[in-house]
Amino acid sequence: MALGARSIDRTHLRPQPTVRPGPTLSTAIAVHNLTKTFSKPGTETQFVVLDDISLSVEEGKFVTIVGPSGCGKSTLLNIIAGIERYDTGSVQLSPRRGSPTHQPRVGYVFQSPRLLNWLTTAGNIEFALEAQNVPGQQWKERVTRQLEMVGLGGQERNYPLRLSGGMQQRVAIARALAIEPDILLMDEPFSHLDAITARKMRFDLMEILAKARPTILFVTHDLAEAVFLSDRIYMMKTNPARIFKEVAIDLPRPRKPEDPALLDLEKNLVQEFFGVLEGTG
Amino acid sequence: MTSVEPSEIRLSPGLLTIAAGLVAWQALSLFFPPVIFPGPWTLLQRMAAIYSDPASYAVVAQTLRRIFEGFAIAMVAGTAFGLLMGLKRDVELFFDTWIMVLLTVPAVCWAFLSVLWFGISDIAPILTIVLIVFPFVVINIWEGTKAMDKDLMEMGSVYRADRSLMFRKVIIPQLMPYIFSSLRIALSLSWKIALVAEAFGAGDGIGQKLINWFQDTRVDMMLAWGVSFMIVMVLVDVLAFRLWARRMFDWRPQLAT
Repeated sequence: MALGARSIDRTHLRPQPTVRPGPTLSTAIAVHNLTKTFSKPGTETQFVVLDDISLSVEEGKFVTIVGPSGCGKSTLLNIIAGIERYDTGSVQLSPRRGSPTHQPRVGYVFQSPRLLNWLTTAGNIEFALEAQNVPGQQWKERVTRQLEMVGLGGQERNYPLRLSGGMQQRVAIARALAIEPDILLMDEPFSHLDAITARKMRFDLMEILAKARPTILFVTHDLAEAVFLSDRIYMMKTNPARIFKEVAIDLPRPRKPEDPALLDLEKNLVQEFFGVLEGTG
Repeated sequence: MTSVEPSEIRLSPGLLTIAAGLVAWQALSLFFPPVIFPGPWTLLQRMAAIYSDPASYAVVAQTLRRIFEGFAIAMVAGTAFGLLMGLKRDVELFFDTWIMVLLTVPAVCWAFLSVLWFGISDIAPILTIVLIVFPFVVINIWEGTKAMDKDLMEMGSVYRADRSLMFRKVIIPQLMPYIFSSLRIALSLSWKIALVAEAFGAGDGIGQKLINWFQDTRVDMMLAWGVSFMIVMVLVDVLAFRLWARRMFDWRPQLAT
C-alpha cells in the first residue's frame, strides 16, 4: 500500500463503504466479495445479480470471465467501469501508469460497436480522446495510428454505417485503444460477428495487444475463445451468480486455435463447466 | 432562346391532373362573379397587382417578422423544455398534464385572449404563435429524448464524457430528426396562426389585409394574398429545411447515395 501502489477507491459508488486491503503492486483490478442485488420494479423479489465475487487481474494480463448469458458478467464489467452501483464488497483499480494520483484510463469494447453514426470513424475516436482530455495536437496522430493498427488505415473520413459489422467493431476497438488504456474491458466483443470474421478478429486482437499491452478483462460465453485468448479464466455460473473455478492457461504464445494442448484443455473445461451448470458436477 | 429536344417534353400524370384542375376551375368560375369565385386567370392578375405594388412588400415583411419571432421563441423554448422533460423525471411528472392541457386549447381562444390582454399590437400575434406552437415542439422533442439510445449514453459515460461533450456529440445528433420535424411543423403552424392572429389583433400585416378584403367581400383579393403568401412559405420550407436536412443527414447511407 505504501510504495506508490496507492489504489483508486471506488467506494463512493456504494452506500456502506468497507475498507479492504488494496491490491498488491502488480494488481490492476482487485474485486473483493462483490455483491449486487436488484429488485424488480413493483415487486418485493430480490434478484441476486452478483453473489460474493472476488477476482484480481495482474497488470498486463489477459483475464477472461466465462459464463452463461444472464450470469451478471456485463454487470460486473459495468461496475468495474464505474457506471453501475453495487451493494457490498469493494472494487479497486490501480492508478494510471506513471501518475499515482490519477484514475486509470479505462477502455471499453461493447458487444455491439456503439459508434456515433453521425461522426466519421476519426470523429468517433476523437470523441473518446476529448472525453479523456487528451490534448488536441495528439488526436490526428493517434487516430491514424489506431486505425492502421486495427486494419482500417485510410478510413478516417468514412461513416460507420458504410462499414461492415466487423469493421465497425474494429473502429470500436481502435477507439478503446486510442485513449491508451491502462485497463481494457471487453464484453463479448466478437459475439455479434460471423464465425470467420470473429476468428480473424481474435488473431488480430492478439497481434494488436502484443504491441499495446493493457490489462484486459474479457467477458465471453465461448470457452474456446476464452482458452485461446487468456492467461487466466474465471468460470461463472448463475443461480447464484458466483465464480466457481479459476484456471490458469499456461500455454505459450502465439497460440493456434487448433493446438491439441489447447483443445484438450478446452474439452476438460467444457465438461466441468456443463457439469456445474447442469448440476451434475 | 434555347431549343428544346422533343424527348424533354414529357407530360407527367401529375402535370396533367393540375392542368385538368385548372381548366375545370376556370370553367366553373365563368358562372360566378370574380369577387365570389375567381378563376385562376383572374387570380393571377390580382397577384400580379399585389406584386407590382411596393407597399405589399412591407405588409409581407411585417407578417414574416412576426412569424419568425414567434417561431423562434417557440422553437428555442420548446426544445429546451422538451429536453428538460425528457432528461429529468421530476420535470416530466410535474408538467406532463400541463403540456397536454396547453395542447387542447383551441387556436382561436389564444388569439382572442391575446388581443384582450395586449390589445391591437405586435405582442398579440406573436404570443398567439408561441402559445400554440410551443407545446407541439415540447412533445416532439420529448418523444425524441425517449427514443434515444441508452447504450450510447452508457458508452459516453464509460469514456467519461462531460455534459457538454455528451450534448454536442451524443444527445443533440440523436434529436436532430425530431428537431427538424419540429422546425417544419412549427413553421407551417406559425404562419397559419399568424394570419388568424393578425386578422384579430395586429392592425396590419397580411392577416389584416385578409380581414379587410373579407369585409369588402372580395374573395379574389383574399385568395390572391393567401396564395402569394403560401408560395413564400413553401419556398422558405424548401430552401431552409429540405436542403439543410439533406446535408445534415449525409451520414445516413440511404440519403447519401
